[in-house]
Amino acid sequence: MNFLTPLFLLGGLAIAGPIVFHLIRRTTRERRVFSSLMFLLPTPPRLAKRSRLEHWLLLLLRCLALGLLALGFSRPFFKQTPLDDPTAAQPKRIVVLVDVSASMRRAGLWAAARERVEATLGKVSAVDQVALYTFDRAATPLLPFEEWNRTAPTDRVALAKSRLAAASPGWAGTQLGTALIAAAEALAENDGKQFPGPREVVLVSDLQAGSRLDALQAYEWPKGVALVVEPVKARGTTNAGLQLVADSADASRASETVVRVRVTNSADAQREQFKVGWARAEAPGEFAGATIDVYIPPGQSRVVAVPVAKTAPGLDRIVLKGDDEDFDNTVYVIPPAQQRLNVLWLGDDAPDDVRQPLFFLRRALSDTPRLAVSVVARTSSAQLTPDDVRTAQVVFVTAALPPAQTAELRAQVQGGKTLVFVPKTAAAAATLGVLVGREGVTLTEATPTSYAMLAEIDFKHPLFAPFADPRFSDFTKIHIWKYRKFDAATIPEGRVLARFDSGDPAVVEAPLGQGRLVVWATGWQPEDSQLSVSSKFVPLLWSLLELGGGVAAAPSQWLVGDTAALPVGAADQEVRFTEPGIRTVAVGERTLRFAVNLEPNESRTAPLAPDELERLGVPVAQTEPKSEPSGDNKIVVQGVEAESRQKLWRWFIAATLAVLLVESALAGWTARKTNQKQAEAAT
Amino acid sequence: MAVAQSSSPLPSAKLIDAQTLMSIRSLELRARAVVEGFWSGMHRSPYHGFSVEFTEYRQYTPGDDPRYLDWRVVARSDRYFIKKYEDETNLRCHLLVDQSRSMDYGSRGHTKAAYAATLAATLAYFLHLQGDATGLLTFDDQVRDYLPARHRAGHLRQLMHALERPAAGRTTDLAAPLERISALIRRRALVALVSDFLAPIDQLERKLLALGACGHEVSVFQVLDPAELNLGLDQPAMFEDLESARTLYLDPATARAPYVKKLEEHCSALRAMCRKLGINYQLLATDQPLEVALFGFLQDRMKRGRQFRPAFRGANPGGAS
Repeated sequence: MNFLTPLFLLGGLAIAGPIVFHLIRRTTRERRVFSSLMFLLPTPPRLAKRSRLEHWLLLLLRCLALGLLALGFSRPFFKQTPLDDPTAAQPKRIVVLVDVSASMRRAGLWAAARERVEATLGKVSAVDQVALYTFDRAATPLLPFEEWNRTAPTDRVALAKSRLAAASPGWAGTQLGTALIAAAEALAENDGKQFPGPREVVLVSDLQAGSRLDALQAYEWPKGVALVVEPVKARGTTNAGLQLVADSADASRASETVVRVRVTNSADAQREQFKVGWARAEAPGEFAGATIDVYIPPGQSRVVAVPVAKTAPGLDRIVLKGDDEDFDNTVYVIPPAQQRLNVLWLGDDAPDDVRQPLFFLRRALSDTPRLAVSVVARTSSAQLTPDDVRTAQVVFVTAALPPAQTAELRAQVQGGKTLVFVPKTAAAAATLGVLVGREGVTLTEATPTSYAMLAEIDFKHPLFAPFADPRFSDFTKIHIWKYRKFDAATIPEGRVLARFDSGDPAVVEAPLGQGRLVVWATGWQPEDSQLSVSSKFVPLLWSLLELGGGVAAAPSQWLVGDTAALPVGAADQEVRFTEPGIRTVAVGERTLRFAVNLEPNESRTAPLAPDELERLGVPVAQTEPKSEPSGDNKIVVQGVEAESRQKLWRWFIAATLAVLLVESALAGWTARKTNQKQAEAAT
Repeated sequence: MAVAQSSSPLPSAKLIDAQTLMSIRSLELRARAVVEGFWSGMHRSPYHGFSVEFTEYRQYTPGDDPRYLDWRVVARSDRYFIKKYEDETNLRCHLLVDQSRSMDYGSRGHTKAAYAATLAATLAYFLHLQGDATGLLTFDDQVRDYLPARHRAGHLRQLMHALERPAAGRTTDLAAPLERISALIRRRALVALVSDFLAPIDQLERKLLALGACGHEVSVFQVLDPAELNLGLDQPAMFEDLESARTLYLDPATARAPYVKKLEEHCSALRAMCRKLGINYQLLATDQPLEVALFGFLQDRMKRGRQFRPAFRGANPGGAS
């Protein structure tokens, strides 16, 4: 048996106390009066002779209690070889999560993180299973468990290190909660079998306050999975961040002359004076033009309106200067510009007839600061010019067209346009047949006895997605007096987006080459339905334009890690942004530009509150950076670990209490017996 | 410890055991028992005719002052005798009795205070019987009661009553009563000081010397309990000082030798001081018969009478000094 604090064994010398007290004649409590103590000197109590030692059992118990107490305080433990260590014998399953978010680009953090990971890998034994993940907005496996297990034990650590060396911090935000969940689930996966040994997630991160943990709120952390946090600390945590405040699409035109950015200063910042101004791609670190001085006290933020210099083209970014960290000091801005959109209308409507659908369409598609819609109306008999169809993103067809013209139109639509077929009468059936490329397509005029309603609406489709919220999903107030009944099966690959309450298809969408055909069984003019007077009419038309790729969705800003859907005609369906900047994507003849910025939360570089993870139910075993013990220190550390595992002192304390209980009972019994004897002797 | 032993001429068989004596409740009865027992023992004593002051009957011869005729003898036997010096030896005795708290100690069923009171009462009764005037002064750390020396009816009872009063004092101050008595008494007198003398005796010598210088005779009775003399206690205990209430853990077996030595030094110092000043000193254990004390007292008186009589006689044959 070894002792962690052997000096406490000296407390065992206190055993001499009871022995001496037992040897001393029991000092009487009797008080006797004497005439005068002037000739008397105090005398020490005399020791009794050994033969007169009384109550030896009590003495034994008292000595035992003191001895056990001293042993308990000296923290005894049995020395164990690593083989004896139950936790050492069991293989561990470890997921090492390395933060590669933008905040890790700060000076020195990535090198420190690599050191931590390599130190963790250095402690791994041959039987352990390790997976290496990086995370920013999502966790990405660098070295999954399967690959680790496949690799020869001697090569595993080297492989992990090489994978780590190839990684580097990106520009994305930190979704720490999602990453932890992914790591916990990766630990749980073990070919359907419960892993016998301890499982832990080793988190190597700067743990900045901008890390998102909300995913953990709805997640029950699995039992038996420990989180070991290996924090890497930056030299400083003060920082000021820059965030683009996007104007809404319906903002006044005056807002187009300024770009508003929010400058946020950290709570512990030392600096309060910053400069904000435009910069060019050619010289990203220098202001181009006038700057704005901003005073922001620590912990506060200000929205700064930066004027757009229309006379100086090429300014695509706003730069902040004066703070401690540079990685988040640029926001990329595409200066606002009005987009032009052409809509071709093929029908026989009189433009000013308030009973015709064209009248409502023109009014619904009024110009906005971001979009100017030009509706070109052509009668069904008019000859179309090539530019009419080429420049239009969306084509509305309401009347029967000549077959040749229809076929030509079909060919154009197949090139990547959206055609909305809204027949006013059943006579347009032939046109629909040509559009879908089938014969025998029929349209039947349907007139419900009272009115029909839209039902079975597919709110997952982008056309109806804006109405998916229950507050907006009520279409029953739109009464439909008549519609054109057709068989949806006659449209190849047709997808019914909405049906009437009678079960007939109301809106059907079908791909047409690279383009898209949308068939509306009813019009919005008052003769057909109440749709045009419904609040849903305008959003529905805008959804149609967006579906046709005519309206570029203008989110507030794109962030690194976001994925933008590309309109029809682009090489890819979507584009994923991996770094901040102005991203250009060619879609046909057009060029789409995306201003991609950093996650604003990445600027919050102050450390995360220490108990935040615990509050969300994640058991954290935080480790401060410490040097690996060596020599004697290692033995001491092993002793501490063994002692904390065995906790023998608790048994000694319990034994002490038990002995003291017995001693108290015995002493009480002895005292009672003595008193009885004295009472008997007195009588 | 040199305590007056019963090796005195008094037959020990006739002496009243102190414990038995103390069982008598009335102080006056106790005093009477001692004195009467003492008188009865006197018949067998080889000593005759001594008293506080030696008196002498002489046949009247013409020329003698007829005032000194003992008319009671004349009345009884029709013979003329002159009681010489009766008037001049009309002794005034002042009993100074210590009533401090230390006197409340007693290991033999009675306290030193009771013993001292009995001793004082015995002396008072004896002197009263002789027609001498007795006074009383009780003290502890200050003077408590004072009865002037008188010889009249009821005075003895008053004196006994004062002696029976329980001690209320705490510490002992030996100098104060001596100072007070020397201020109070004008005429030559006998001062009997009864105390345990368990107090510092530094100032005592000066006060006694002052008394002697005033012509008073002093007799000192040191009353100690047998347990005090040899620390006759067996069990260790917390001992509490009766006067100062100080407590002390004491194992008598260990503490006995140094205690006895110190007490003996103290008593020896007191005895030496008395011898130096020509004062009668008697150490009395409370288990000793009181007759011994009375005998010692009278013996001393007799010796002094022999020693000093010529001086007194020549100095002032007709009055008190």
